[in-house]
Amino acid sequence: MAVKEIDARGLQCPGPIVEVFKAINALKPGDEIRIQVTDRGFLEDVKTWCRKTGNVLVSLEDGQPIKAVIRKK
Amino acid sequence: MQKYDLIVIGGVAAGTKAAAKTRREKPDWKIAIITRDDDVSYAGCGLPYFIGDIIQNRGQLVVRTPETLRLVHSIDVFTRHSVLSIDREKHTVSVQNTNSNEKLEFGYRKLLLATGASAMRPPIPGIDSERIHTIRSVTDADAILAGMGSKSGRAVVVGGGFIGIEVAENLKHRGWEVTVIEMLPQILPPFDLEIALMMQKHLEKNGVRIVTGACVQSFCDKDGGVEVATSNGAFQADIVILSIGIKPNSGLGCDSGLELGCRGTIRVDACGRTSDPDIFAAGDCASTFSVTSGNEAWSPMGSTANKQARAAALTLTGTESEFPGVLGTMIVKAFGFSAARTGVNEREACESKMNAVSVTVPSDDRAHYYPGSEKIAIKLTADAETGELLGCQTYGMGAVDKPLDAIAVAITMGATVHDVAHVDFAYAPPFSTAINPVNLACYVMQNKLSGKLESIGPVEANCMIHSPDWDGLLLDPREIPEFMIGTVPGAVNIPIHEFPTRLAEVAAFKDKTVIVVCNYGKRAFEAYVRLKHHGFNRVKVLEGGTKFWPYELE
Ligand SMILES: Cc1cc2nc3c(=O)[nH]c(=O)nc-3n(C[C@H](O)[C@H](O)[C@H](O)COP(=O)(O)OP(=O)(O)OC[C@H]3O[C@@H](n4cnc5c(N)ncnc54)[C@H](O)[C@@H]3O)c2cc1C
Repeated sequence: MAVKEIDARGLQCPGPIVEVFKAINALKPGDEIRIQVTDRGFLEDVKTWCRKTGNVLVSLEDGQPIKAVIRKK
Repeated sequence: MQKYDLIVIGGVAAGTKAAAKTRREKPDWKIAIITRDDDVSYAGCGLPYFIGDIIQNRGQLVVRTPETLRLVHSIDVFTRHSVLSIDREKHTVSVQNTNSNEKLEFGYRKLLLATGASAMRPPIPGIDSERIHTIRSVTDADAILAGMGSKSGRAVVVGGGFIGIEVAENLKHRGWEVTVIEMLPQILPPFDLEIALMMQKHLEKNGVRIVTGACVQSFCDKDGGVEVATSNGAFQADIVILSIGIKPNSGLGCDSGLELGCRGTIRVDACGRTSDPDIFAAGDCASTFSVTSGNEAWSPMGSTANKQARAAALTLTGTESEFPGVLGTMIVKAFGFSAARTGVNEREACESKMNAVSVTVPSDDRAHYYPGSEKIAIKLTADAETGELLGCQTYGMGAVDKPLDAIAVAITMGATVHDVAHVDFAYAPPFSTAINPVNLACYVMQNKLSGKLESIGPVEANCMIHSPDWDGLLLDPREIPEFMIGTVPGAVNIPIHEFPTRLAEVAAFKDKTVIVVCNYGKRAFEAYVRLKHHGFNRVKVLEGGTKFWPYELE
C-alpha cells in the first residue's frame, strides 16, 4: 500500500479538495492519502466527496491543521 | 402620604436606567421605583440561557438588587407593589402591596412609566394548562425550570421569533427533544426568507424540529403531557413555551387619558414625554421612531429601553435630550449560527415600494488561514439611484455583529455604499481580512448599481429554475471535485479553465438566462465576465453560491 502525503495548509477552497482529487486519480485501490488542511470548509467537503465517490474516509481530525486520511476504493 | 420628585413605575431595564440616571443628575431628589415583580434590574435577555443552564446562578441575571439601589443610589424600591391608577390632577399614584393587599398613595412631581410589555397568551382552547409557560421575567424562568425538573423530555416552542429560537437552542442543550411551531411560512420574520431558511437548516442539523405555516388550534392535557393541535398535525409535549409576541403594558397610561401611539404603546416624543408634560415613558411600553422613515415605531428591545430611558431622565431633570429612534437592529445566535439585521430588508424595501437594490456577499470573518476563521454573508440593501444604504443583514458561523454594527452607523449617518466602500477598517489576520468584508460588500454593490454585475439571490433563483417556463442554464464553473461535492440541482459543470474549448456546448443559451453558481460567488463573477465577453447576454451570478444556498444541494 502506498501512502501519499499532501500538505495543503494555507490553501484556500477549492485547493485542498482539488489536491485530493488529483492525488486519488494517480493512486491504486487501497492506497492512502494523508492530508493536512487549514481551510475549514474542507471538513464538510471531504465527507461529502468521499460519500459521493465511494472512497473511504479513514479518519478526520478537526484541529489546527485539520488532518484527514482517505483510502482509494 | 409619601411625596417623591420622581416615581418610576417598573424596575427592569428602562425603569432602573431612568432612576439611576436621574440620581446622577439630581443628587438631592427623592426617587422611588415601584414594581409588581419580585426582582428589579434583571437581564430579561439572559433568561433563555438561564433555562439552558449556560447561566447557572439566578443571581447572575440580576444586575442590581433593591438593596444596591437603596444603598448606592438612595432610591426607594417597592417590589411586589402594583400601581393601580394615576391621578394626573393631584399628581398621585395609588398602589397596592400585593403581599398584604394594603393600599397606599404616593405623590410625584415627575412620573416615568417603564411598565414594559407582557407576553401574549391568546384565548386558544386549553391555554390555561400549567404546562404552558411564557418567558418574560425571572419568575417565569423559575417556573419553566421547575416544570422541566431534572429529567429531559419533549418541548414544544410556539413561535419562531428570536426568543423562540434562543429558547429552542437552550432546551436542546439541556437534552430535550424540541419542536418549534411557527404560524408564518418562515421563522425569524424580521429577516429575508433565505436567511431564515439558513437558520432553519442549521437548527434542524442540530436536532431541532421546525414546523412552519402551522397555526396552533388547541392545547389539551393528555397522558401527563400536553397535546398541541395545529393546522399541520398534533405534537406531544411535556412542556410548552409560548413565545408568540408581546403587547405593551400601556393600561395605566390609557386609563389616565394619555395619548396612545402605534401598536398600543404610550405615545412619547423623542425626549420621552407623553401627552402630559409631567409624565414620561420609556422602554417596551412606549413608542419611538424609525430613524430612516421618521414614522412612529415600536422597538421592544433592551437596547432601546436603556437609551430611551437615559434621554427621558435627562429631559425630566432639565437637560432636554432626544433619542431619535431605531433602525430595527437585532441579532440572534443558535448553535453557532448567527443572524443580524438593521434598517430595512429586501422584502420590506419591496413592500414599501422603495427603489432599492440588494446584494449578498460572502466573506471570511478573518484571514482564512487564521485559526477560527469562519464564513459570513453580508446582504446590503441600498437605494438604486444614490447608493444610500437602507439596510443590512449578516449571517453565518462567523462574527456577524461587526459588519452589521458598521453598517448601522453608516445608515444612521445617511452614508452611501460609495462612502463606506473606502472606510479605513482595522486589519490584521486575527481580526479581519485584507479586503474588509464591509468594504468588499460595498464594492460588489457598486458593481451591481453600475451594471457591471448582474446577480440573483437564492430565493428568486430557486423560484426561477422551478418555474415551468424555465428554459435557461445553470452553469457551475468550478473544478470537477467541487461540483461533485454539491451543486444546485440541475447545474451543468464546465470548469472555468475549459471555457475556451467547451463553451460551444452551451452556445444555445446565449440569449437565455444563464445563472452561474460557485462556492461563494467570486469564481462565478470571473465566469460571468468571460461569458459576457463570449456573447452570453443574460448572465447572472448566484449570490451566496452553494455555501449560502438555503435549499438542498445535489
Ligand atoms: C427571553 C427574552 C430575551 C430577550 N432578548 C433580548 C435581546 O437579546 N436583546 C434586546 O435588546 N432585548 C431583548 N429582550 C427584550 C428586553 O428584555 C426588553 O426590551 C426589556 O426588558 C424592556 O425593559 P422595560 O424596562 O421597558 O420593561 P420590562 O422588562 O417589561 O419591565 C417592566 C416592569 O414593570 C412592571 N410593571 C408593569 N406594570 C406595572 C404596574 N402597574 N405596577 C407596577 N409594576 C408594573 C413589570 O412587572 C415589569 O417588572 C428579551 C426579552 C426576553 C423576554
